[in-house]
Amino acid sequence: MSEKISRRDFLKLASAGAATTAVLTGCGPASRYVEREPYTKMPEYTYNGLSTYYATTCRECAAGCGLIVRTMQGRAIKVEGNASNPVNLGKTCARGQATLQGLYNPDRVGSPTKQGRGSSVSPMDWDSAIQIVADALKNNTPSEIAFLMGTGSDHLFDLVSDLANAIGAPAPARFGALSMFESRATLSKAAENLLGQSAMPFFDLANADIVLSFGANFLETWLSPVAYTRGFAKMRRGNPKQRGYFIHFEARMSQTASKADEWIPLLPGTEGLVALAIGRLVAEAKGGATPEAFASVDPLEVASTSGVKLETLEHIAQLIVEAQTPLAIPGGAALGQSNGLSTAEAVLALNALTDNFGKPGGVFVSPLSPNEDAYHRPASALEITEFISKMKSGSIKALFIHGVNPIFELPKSFGFEEALGSVPQVISFATFPDETAIASDYIFPDHHGLESWGYQRVATGSMQPVLSGLQPVVNGVYYTTTDPDTGADTSELLYNARGTADVLIAATQLAGGKFAEALPFKDEVEFIQSKLVNLISEADGSFSAPEINTFTAYFQQHGGWWKKTAELATPSASSVLSKSVNAETAQFAGEGEFIFLPFVSPTLGEAGANKPWLQELPDPTTTVMWNTWVEINPETAHELGITNDDVVEITSEAGVVKAAVYLYPAIHPGVIAMPFGQGHTAYGRYATSVGVSEKFMDLVPTSQYVNGGKAFPRGANPADVLGAHFNEAGDLAFAGMKVEVKKTGEKQVLSRLESRIGVYGEGMGEEH
Amino acid sequence: MSNQMVDLNRVGAKGAIAEAAEGKWGMVIDRDLCTGCQACVAACAMENNLSFVGEEDAGYGRTQHWIRIERLWEGEYPGVKVEGGFQPMLCQQCGSAPCEPVCPVFATPHSEAEQLNLQVYNRCIGTRYCANNCPYQVRSFNWRDYHIEPFHANLVTGQLVFPLHNQFNPDVTVRRRGVMEKCTFCIQRIHSAQDKAKSEGREVEDGEFTTACAQACPASAITFGRLDHEESLVSQLGHVSRGVKHLEELNTLPRVTYLEKG
Amino acid sequence: MAVTSDHLYGAKKAHETHHEEEHDPRESLMYDPKPRGEMNQMVMESMTTTSWKFWVVFGILSILVATCFFYGWGYMISEGLYVAGVMRPSYWGVFLVNTVFWIGISHAGTFISAILRVFKAEFRRPFTRAAELMTTFGLIQAGASIFMHMGRVWLFYWMIPIPNARQLWPNFHSPLMWDLLAITTYILGSTMYLFLPLIPDLAMARDRSTGWRKTFFKTLALGFRGTEGEWRHLTIAMNIFAFAIIPVMFSVHTIVSWDFAMAMRPGWSSTVFGPYFVVGALHSGMGAVALVLFIMRATMKHMDYFLRKEHFDGLGKLMMIVSFAYAYFFFNDYIVQWYGGDKWTDILLHWLEEGPMAWMFYQLILFNIAIPFLTLWNKKIRTTPWLLALIGFLINVGMYYERYLIIPVMLTINRMPFTWKLYFPRVEVFLTIGTFALFLWFYMAASRLIPLIPVWEVQEGQMVHSLRKVGKTHVPTVSEFE
Repeated sequence: MSEKISRRDFLKLASAGAATTAVLTGCGPASRYVEREPYTKMPEYTYNGLSTYYATTCRECAAGCGLIVRTMQGRAIKVEGNASNPVNLGKTCARGQATLQGLYNPDRVGSPTKQGRGSSVSPMDWDSAIQIVADALKNNTPSEIAFLMGTGSDHLFDLVSDLANAIGAPAPARFGALSMFESRATLSKAAENLLGQSAMPFFDLANADIVLSFGANFLETWLSPVAYTRGFAKMRRGNPKQRGYFIHFEARMSQTASKADEWIPLLPGTEGLVALAIGRLVAEAKGGATPEAFASVDPLEVASTSGVKLETLEHIAQLIVEAQTPLAIPGGAALGQSNGLSTAEAVLALNALTDNFGKPGGVFVSPLSPNEDAYHRPASALEITEFISKMKSGSIKALFIHGVNPIFELPKSFGFEEALGSVPQVISFATFPDETAIASDYIFPDHHGLESWGYQRVATGSMQPVLSGLQPVVNGVYYTTTDPDTGADTSELLYNARGTADVLIAATQLAGGKFAEALPFKDEVEFIQSKLVNLISEADGSFSAPEINTFTAYFQQHGGWWKKTAELATPSASSVLSKSVNAETAQFAGEGEFIFLPFVSPTLGEAGANKPWLQELPDPTTTVMWNTWVEINPETAHELGITNDDVVEITSEAGVVKAAVYLYPAIHPGVIAMPFGQGHTAYGRYATSVGVSEKFMDLVPTSQYVNGGKAFPRGANPADVLGAHFNEAGDLAFAGMKVEVKKTGEKQVLSRLESRIGVYGEGMGEEH
Repeated sequence: MSNQMVDLNRVGAKGAIAEAAEGKWGMVIDRDLCTGCQACVAACAMENNLSFVGEEDAGYGRTQHWIRIERLWEGEYPGVKVEGGFQPMLCQQCGSAPCEPVCPVFATPHSEAEQLNLQVYNRCIGTRYCANNCPYQVRSFNWRDYHIEPFHANLVTGQLVFPLHNQFNPDVTVRRRGVMEKCTFCIQRIHSAQDKAKSEGREVEDGEFTTACAQACPASAITFGRLDHEESLVSQLGHVSRGVKHLEELNTLPRVTYLEKG
Repeated sequence: MAVTSDHLYGAKKAHETHHEEEHDPRESLMYDPKPRGEMNQMVMESMTTTSWKFWVVFGILSILVATCFFYGWGYMISEGLYVAGVMRPSYWGVFLVNTVFWIGISHAGTFISAILRVFKAEFRRPFTRAAELMTTFGLIQAGASIFMHMGRVWLFYWMIPIPNARQLWPNFHSPLMWDLLAITTYILGSTMYLFLPLIPDLAMARDRSTGWRKTFFKTLALGFRGTEGEWRHLTIAMNIFAFAIIPVMFSVHTIVSWDFAMAMRPGWSSTVFGPYFVVGALHSGMGAVALVLFIMRATMKHMDYFLRKEHFDGLGKLMMIVSFAYAYFFFNDYIVQWYGGDKWTDILLHWLEEGPMAWMFYQLILFNIAIPFLTLWNKKIRTTPWLLALIGFLINVGMYYERYLIIPVMLTINRMPFTWKLYFPRVEVFLTIGTFALFLWFYMAASRLIPLIPVWEVQEGQMVHSLRKVGKTHVPTVSEFE
């Protein structure tokens, strides 16, 4: 029996939460399988002057923050957080706010395209496109079909996994630059080694009174920044009696580090040793036997290796001893070293020492998402190199790529672009003409996230299991054109995209046989429903419904389904302390005076370069906009005769990159740092540069992807100098390269929001 | 209302002074919580149809950020710190705004109803005296018709199509070149909430709506509301001992209180 | 005023001993009369004799005006102010510098034609009109510059207090409104004050012209026939204007200075700006007059008769006195600000003295103070026209620097260090060239259209100056006017 739900009831069901939005979230304009009222009572989105709000999930990263999007007459105009979604509780980050500029970006792939790897580009229609996909599936042996996907779009991942499983193709590989820089494999391996469960740890910042972060940039892009920022705020000022204390260990003062009460610069790769040394000092201060984990470390030696003074280590140890709930967090560049896994284990061991596993303010294992049997982490960088070897060996005949831009996101030294040459057919489902898309045979554009159905499993950042839902908030992007003969205005679809899940389902139906049996659904929504149907019988859900259509309607309206109570698993700490942790400094690859420290741009993230408002956001610590820079300690720069805006060449054993210099006062003298996120040679007019002396505003640019040519890059990509070196868990040792720095004699003025006169005293007769 | 005490501090001339001193709509920004993430800047840009100006103009002081995050340094490596933490700076909606008396055409009057400093786009003739006189330097000028530069368009069947324009908020004017603009405390949201409450015959509740920046901030560092209602969150936070008003000595009577790091 | 024999022209030297240099009073214009007709003819000839060199220069100026001024301004209006160099925090730049500069230049005209008239300084006679023309044409450039800086200049009329459909008055609290009223008053007043003494000369020219010139002069001369009654009315009118335009002159630049003094910026909100700017205006104006007179003398026919050493001498003395006053106000302004010890003003002073524009600051002191102090006391220098012109030119450069420092350079420093960026002029350079070109263009056109020398005033002066025989010597004397 299906319950007819009226719009009025929807209103009552929507939770008011923090009362920050008007909260009617109906079913999207592309609603399927919901009873509709008669047309005399018009659909909400056609009321003039009234906005309608639809719940969905942000797809700018894999965190799974819930959104409520305000639409007006079929246009999405503002993104707000969904107050009910436990991950973000109504808040959004800058990338989520700017996702609208992705939906309405002038450089989207406008229709299915025969790309010809850039040599001959022509538009196609969807029927031909689906035929090509069907042929690719049918005409290749299943073991020679490969799927490479991003870390978002979980429903598509599930569909592809089911398809691959059914036809005997290898399971899809998932990867993304963010997961590479977050070292997810390391974190889950450390959790597995120490806690017995391979899942993402969850750090309960909110209830900790002291937080020690070893490189974890939890206020920037790490894992679930909105959730962790909320936790940070609670830690700071949530307790009226005590302000939380925050110590951050990192070779450069990142945005996260700048919020620390103590920023401890140290030599990269020594974070694990420092954690162990502190652990030993804590154990000694507490009295009793020193656990095995910390037994073999010598704090004095650590002090000299890492550059952190012994007094500082002792002072921190003292703070920990006096604290109620000290929490240590491993992450960021600390794990992107050859010793990253042992670093993670050392830091987790520190938590074990202070006995805060499974307690408020401590370490938990993130709950599995609803409908998930186990945590499936994205591929590690090492696993990706194996994938690339497969490509190179010619054993992949058809490669489908969705949601990831490997040519840009992977280090050049991995050779992905070259390996494409060994794959006869490459089909991209990219929404934007990025580097990988333009190097493919075909681009069959997926919808933008805001036009998509789906669900997103929340791997970490929430204490409850959360399955965040997506629905299209608009029915597409249209433009108005005037008929030259009749003078009438008509509305035309500007971007003829189609959901990849729908494309695959249609293709399998077309291919027939076992393919059609693999995905016996009429469309994407039916597939999603098939995945949701088990949740109907789950208890303690944020809503319940008697059958799938109603459940789906509620799922769309609420923006997902989650458990009402926290389900954080308590890891068992007993064995942690008795294991000895491998304590050694990191190994660096190559020769050079400097250690190279790439970091994900907090404003651009991995895929934000084509959104102009993200480009115009100043980097929080340097205030640079629209370009790449390399941070060098001013003393070091002075010795090298380098000053602001000098273009330098940075050479590692794996490659070369050029960037303008920013004399950054808060970085270790032996380290240089560069943001990741710029350096695109495709991906649209805002992500690239139209020339050396560009007049930004004066040109109507030719579509780069039509010509297949590479545009001038905007900024530089630090992945160009990263070599194929991995830590023990297979994650990329992205902070483990040594580099040489050389002046080129060129100058490139960086656009900063700040004043160099006011902030650095330039021109005032004294330099700061 | 009948057995309420009349607060003599709020009626008559004294009341006017009290209200002028304290204001109506105001904000509290906690610098200890602000992480510098720029979510507020992005949210404001999306809500208020701000134009982005490109690399060259952005570096040359022509950005249109209505709110910006300032960062100053103190100390030297390794003891270098961000001085005081990140400082979000936006229009303080001064009770005694220096920008108001200097506009020759009354394009930036003071709203008696909302106790805000208004910017009337269609009256502004672009002399930029107000921007010079603002001690917080929070006003921005439309140097160019950034939105309609052909660079942002696609040529579709012979016409220029601007997909980004679909995102514009219809409640906020899209400004042409030659006019000043600044943060309005999301006055469109204020009016929208007031209209809704009025149509339902009630007052606007504290927290019923908020500005775009406050809504987005993941650290909840920005609180917005009625300064003149004692029970509102912003009013209570504003009286915390950590609270300071920026450039208070200039007697601008700003409506934004900053909570310094404790 | 009694007749005195030791009046302006070093009369006592006439009875000094022979080891002093012989001073022939006939060297001075007032004692060297020519027949009226001849003088009038000389003035007419200087107006109508046009060499090919004039046309070359005029042609170049026309091109500059058309491209730099009109096309440049039109381009800026259609594109937006981004083509200029203004930005945060220097929202005002070279356009305002030009405005203040041109108003400054225009003050000299009023000073010479009004104040010197009121104080009966005889040496003013031959160049009052040349100075008044500078006022009118300078104010046109000032007006153009202030319109240039407006973002929506096509709506400038909203500043005019006339009844309108919006029922809105402009805001009289704003110094820009005071500016509007003051400058409008000034330009109307000084144009009328230019026109009044021009009438007799226009009549003279009318009587000596034919063809289109005659029609032109006939229209403008308003039928002046030189009767007793007409002269009386004219003299009364000129006297009224002379007295009335003086407070206007002082107030205009004071009001313009209040654009800055009423603002809250460090360095700007200084109460001495009023008189400081007026004196600065005079300083630059005098220098410009010297320059213009030198050019007139060098390029126009017969000007060496009218413009003599004594005029440059008198002008030079004025320049020197004004430079004393300027130096006083300059140091007053900066020393008092330094003494005040406000943190932001300290930074600003540091910025001026040691920042990237410090060279401008020191050159300013050199050109505006050091050079006048070191040179203008010397009579030889004062009476060498090209030297005085050079000094005047350098003073103008120095005064331009001063306005540039006060406006965009001082705007860099405010109370928000995060915003301090340095201003660079872009299209303003062309538009500035355009205003200078337009000014010179007007001037050159005026020199062909109206007599530049107020010949009736010169003749009037010559009438009352005579050499009276006292004993054996001739003593220069001046009779009293009515």
